[in-house]
Amino acid sequence: MHSVIKTAAGLALAIVLGMPAIAQDTLTIGIMVPTTGSEATYGQDMANAVNLAIGEINAAGGVLGKQLASTVGDDGCDAQQAVNAASKLAASGVVGVVGGYCSGATVPTLKIYGDAKIPLIIPAANSTKLIPENPGNAFMINSTGNDQVAKAIEYFNGKGIKKIAIINQGDAYSQDLADLTKKNWEAAGNTVTNFEVTNKGEQDYSAVVTAITAANPDAVFWTAYYADGGLLIRQLRERGYQGLIAVGDGSNSPELFKIAGPAAEGVIAFSNPTAEFLPEAKAFSEAYQKQFGAAPGPYSTLSYDATKLLAWAINTAGTTDSAKVIETLQGADFTDTISGPISFTPEKTLARSNFVVLEGKGGAWTLAQ
Amino acid sequence: MSIFDIFTNQLLNGIVLGSFYALVALGYTMVFGVVKLLNFAHGELYMVGGFAGFLVLSFLAPYVGPGWFGVAVSMVLAMIAVGFLGVVIERVAYAPMLSAPRLSILITALAVSLVLQNGMLTLTKGQYVPFGASLGFGGVRIDNFFISYNQMVLVGVAAVLMLALELFVSRTQYGRAMRAISVDKDMARLMGINVNAVIAITFFLGSALAAAAGTMAGAYYGSLWYFMGFLIGLKAFTAAVIGGIGSIPGAMLGGLILGLLESFGTQLPGVGSEWKDVFSFSVLILVLVFKPTGLLGKPEQERM
Amino acid sequence: MADFPERPSAWGGLAVLLDTPQKRYAAIAVILVAMAVAPYVFGSYGTVILTNALLYVLLALGLNIVVGYAGLLDLGFAAFFAVGAYTVGITTLHFGLNFWLALPLAILLAIIAGIVIGAPTLRLRSDYLAIVTLGFGEIVRITARNLRETGGASGLIGIDSPWLFGWHIRTPLDFYYVFCVLAILGVIASVRLANSRLGRAWLYVRHDEDAAEAMGINRVKVKLAAYVVGAIYGSIGGAFFAANLGAISPESFSFRQSVLILMAVILGGMGKIPGVILGAFIVILAPELLRDFGDLRLLIFAVGLLLIMLFRPSGIWPARSKSR
Repeated sequence: MHSVIKTAAGLALAIVLGMPAIAQDTLTIGIMVPTTGSEATYGQDMANAVNLAIGEINAAGGVLGKQLASTVGDDGCDAQQAVNAASKLAASGVVGVVGGYCSGATVPTLKIYGDAKIPLIIPAANSTKLIPENPGNAFMINSTGNDQVAKAIEYFNGKGIKKIAIINQGDAYSQDLADLTKKNWEAAGNTVTNFEVTNKGEQDYSAVVTAITAANPDAVFWTAYYADGGLLIRQLRERGYQGLIAVGDGSNSPELFKIAGPAAEGVIAFSNPTAEFLPEAKAFSEAYQKQFGAAPGPYSTLSYDATKLLAWAINTAGTTDSAKVIETLQGADFTDTISGPISFTPEKTLARSNFVVLEGKGGAWTLAQ
Repeated sequence: MSIFDIFTNQLLNGIVLGSFYALVALGYTMVFGVVKLLNFAHGELYMVGGFAGFLVLSFLAPYVGPGWFGVAVSMVLAMIAVGFLGVVIERVAYAPMLSAPRLSILITALAVSLVLQNGMLTLTKGQYVPFGASLGFGGVRIDNFFISYNQMVLVGVAAVLMLALELFVSRTQYGRAMRAISVDKDMARLMGINVNAVIAITFFLGSALAAAAGTMAGAYYGSLWYFMGFLIGLKAFTAAVIGGIGSIPGAMLGGLILGLLESFGTQLPGVGSEWKDVFSFSVLILVLVFKPTGLLGKPEQERM
Repeated sequence: MADFPERPSAWGGLAVLLDTPQKRYAAIAVILVAMAVAPYVFGSYGTVILTNALLYVLLALGLNIVVGYAGLLDLGFAAFFAVGAYTVGITTLHFGLNFWLALPLAILLAIIAGIVIGAPTLRLRSDYLAIVTLGFGEIVRITARNLRETGGASGLIGIDSPWLFGWHIRTPLDFYYVFCVLAILGVIASVRLANSRLGRAWLYVRHDEDAAEAMGINRVKVKLAAYVVGAIYGSIGGAFFAANLGAISPESFSFRQSVLILMAVILGGMGKIPGVILGAFIVILAPELLRDFGDLRLLIFAVGLLLIMLFRPSGIWPARSKSR
């Protein structure tokens, strides 16, 4: 009788104590990416990678003894939507946010996360316009426009190219890349034959193509995203342009080949190394393929690393207090990654350039040589 | 490249562009003629036509190949399908509203266009869909002037379709009935014309032409997007207005003129290609303010 | 002959319930109290959503004057919204102008825009008017997207939040109360306008332009007045929108935006103020509630609009009289 009461009391106590403990046993990470809109394939891929990382971290014991969960805020690659998504994430008590693909949409959210004192790790958006707007809690782990331009110019010089045409879409990302390229290219004594801006969603590029074929530069550099880039590439080749076509990392999607068709053969891309070119990423790619039934996309490795970085920072700081976590991140020299070591400049950008040169061959990207 | 070369190349660009505009403008103008309504959803029919062509081609490609023949077959089937869609829309959404206040039917047309647009948005998740035709890059080069085989086929097909329509309207019984209705609907009904049937046929033809343009655009440019109907709808309307709304030759002429204006307009200093659309809309507003009946339109008694 | 459009009333169908002044004052008091405590009930994210809804109330009231009162189907209303937002953005960002000086400038520019956009449409019938206003809306958006002064395709960033007599209007809560005030002022202005001579003139012109002209109403002035008043509403909304968000981009002023505002006007009940308010809330809250549906929610909206036009064109809010 006595033992029954003791057991019952013990059981009741365990239940009472256990329940709130279960509720407090999770830490939530916010994921801010475009899951709708023209860039949704990138966003979905990034969210998948974050969740994959979370699964692995949880299996290894979680963070600070707690399991991780995630919640997605859709920014739709649009500033207004991004602000709503960020407000929602900030209000829902996340300990950190991994996200930011479209620079133009990410910029207004920096203030929101700053006010809410939430650390933000940005795996993709890399416009230099993000830097002055950073209230101090955002870390960019994709090399910035400056590094990409350096890589591009290095490549063009290596091929003996003297005249290029630059085409962008006027948004924070592509315009930044285009302006930086123009400035540095001309400063080195070379020529920019055409500097054009096209509209997103445009189908007919005949005017731009005619202007380019008239000027006949050695190379054309498209600094915007893949969907429209594919059309431009196709139309350039169709009208007989023979020179080199290069694209920035907003067009490094394998979807480019479907849209541009055979015209994409030989196109050069400057990009962060995607999963298939990273030796450490093999296990990652297999796990991703197994869980999501598709190959990992261009920003999955960076999103995966961002998540692991955040988890590590919280663990190392020993607390979810954002000031400590941010301090830990600033001083990080994180090497448990698949895209390369991560450490930050005082501006909270990646302290090294992770750009490589890719070449389109047979309908897929390969490392150029 | 000399000025002459740029001129000839832009002339070609303008004709190609103008062909698309003309095909879509025809549908606008025909429908306006018989029901005095600007079918706001017409641009979306171009978009749906493109997707229909894509679907058909993806099924039939093993049998007809992904080249121009395959595209042509897909186009014809898409035209028929979207033609019927146009008739359905007319019966379901417009016919019941013809006696309602003007504002209501306009908003209904807007609603139809949004349903089509957002429907395709949901189906494609907002992604660009590669059309999947293999059309090759060959062409004829004369010094610095280059015309591709694709362009020749495109303009040719557009011309054939427009000619067929013109013959239909001027030579057949239905064509005569269409013209009668556009002059005076009640009188036409009193004279025994089956107005509803003729209206249905008009919608069918107009939608079919838009679908043809959509399929060809998908094949030629290479990809489809749920939002591609929006801009072409506005441009086609502009073309129809330039040529004179209600006039079929006017729509063809207007399409050509708009295509040329856009191609040459972007060569003006300071007007880069990002201002192309502003240029077109400004033309629209100017025409409506100064010559609302367009080039070939009939002056109307009632206020435009 | 189409039925004579009813004079817009502030209460619509509820007028039957609220038939004494005491009941009306009580209702107003309840609404005001509800607005004041809502942030504490709904939390910080809910406050952001409500602020959005109030912005749309303001914008929808403005469009309601153009479409609902004067019968002009303006499909480019976002242009006025853009003028207000960009004026504030550019003058405060590049010229350091104080917000409270930028605001009247924004309103002035919007008035000019209203006249510029309205003037060519005066003689056009409604179909053409719709497309021309759409064209103007696109022109404004594309211009904003192309010019460096307006920040190009990424827009303007870092717009300062305003100060009012020592109160720094910065947090979402601050802006919530600001928009409450704006919405209330907007409603009061709409009611007064509806009952004024101008309001009646709009009704006559909408019903039959030629007869109105014969009665001595200056069609041109009356129509332009509608655009101008709508533009004022739009630009005030835009100005505070820019200050609130701190960053604006051309995508917020697209045709999609104009359509959203139009839907708010129509879904609730075109011409009726409570209907318009309801419509604004539907347009903002439904996407949040339907968030899991993703792209489907836009389709649901469009289908809803179509169904309403086919079966209940007077909108969801009950009408005061039996007739449509």
